[in-house]
Amino acid sequence: MVHALQEAHRVLRPHGLLIDLRPAPAHRRVGLQRGRRWTIVGTTKEDLSDDHSANQAVKTAIGRGLFRRGLYDRFELKRHVGGLSAFRAWLEDFVLRSGLPSHAWLVDRVAAGLAGGSTWATVVVRGPLELRVLRKRG
Amino acid sequence: MPIRIDPEEVEFRALKPAASWRGARVLEIGCGDGRLTRRLARLGAQVIAIDPDRNAIRSARRTLPKSYAGQVRYAVGTAGRLEFPARSFDIVVFAWSL
Repeated sequence: MVHALQEAHRVLRPHGLLIDLRPAPAHRRVGLQRGRRWTIVGTTKEDLSDDHSANQAVKTAIGRGLFRRGLYDRFELKRHVGGLSAFRAWLEDFVLRSGLPSHAWLVDRVAAGLAGGSTWATVVVRGPLELRVLRKRG
Repeated sequence: MPIRIDPEEVEFRALKPAASWRGARVLEIGCGDGRLTRRLARLGAQVIAIDPDRNAIRSARRTLPKSYAGQVRYAVGTAGRLEFPARSFDIVVFAWSL
């Protein structure tokens, strides 16, 4: 990760900007949206070590004098997944790509939540995103 | 129904004040299917977007609106070895990829 930041530093013009946009080290919250109301049904259990390593790499790059800190923002991003089958497909892909253990329990919870409501609902996954702006020194 | 990521455009609104995008030479690293690339083009940037996944790049090229064709170029590539000369970009964006 530090090497990637060094490469970014190389291709940036002097005083150019590096923008690091990615999910914050936090577990995603899965819920059901009914009209304007969103109700949480469960939270993913993720390995956040890569996120912490990326944060450390940014600190290292700043510590080495490659960049200086600029704007920081944190906001919530929503992923409107749809119904149960779409959620199952998304979660299976997410678990596979992230190397996580099965989250079948979360599918069961969503299924129960969808079955229990009296009105139509859609699955919405929420999670915080962080935006860091770093300026190249020199 | 396809999955919709950030239909409220919170991400777009956060990016907008982060830089002077219009006409800026931008390298986007980890562009995936080009979701964020299209937003950077909408901000007026000239974008070279790379991703190691050939299928993702193919999909990104396929879904790029013609109106952005003059602003965006996709290529297969990784952050660890950037095939570009030194000092060639105004902005580098790590798009969910650091």
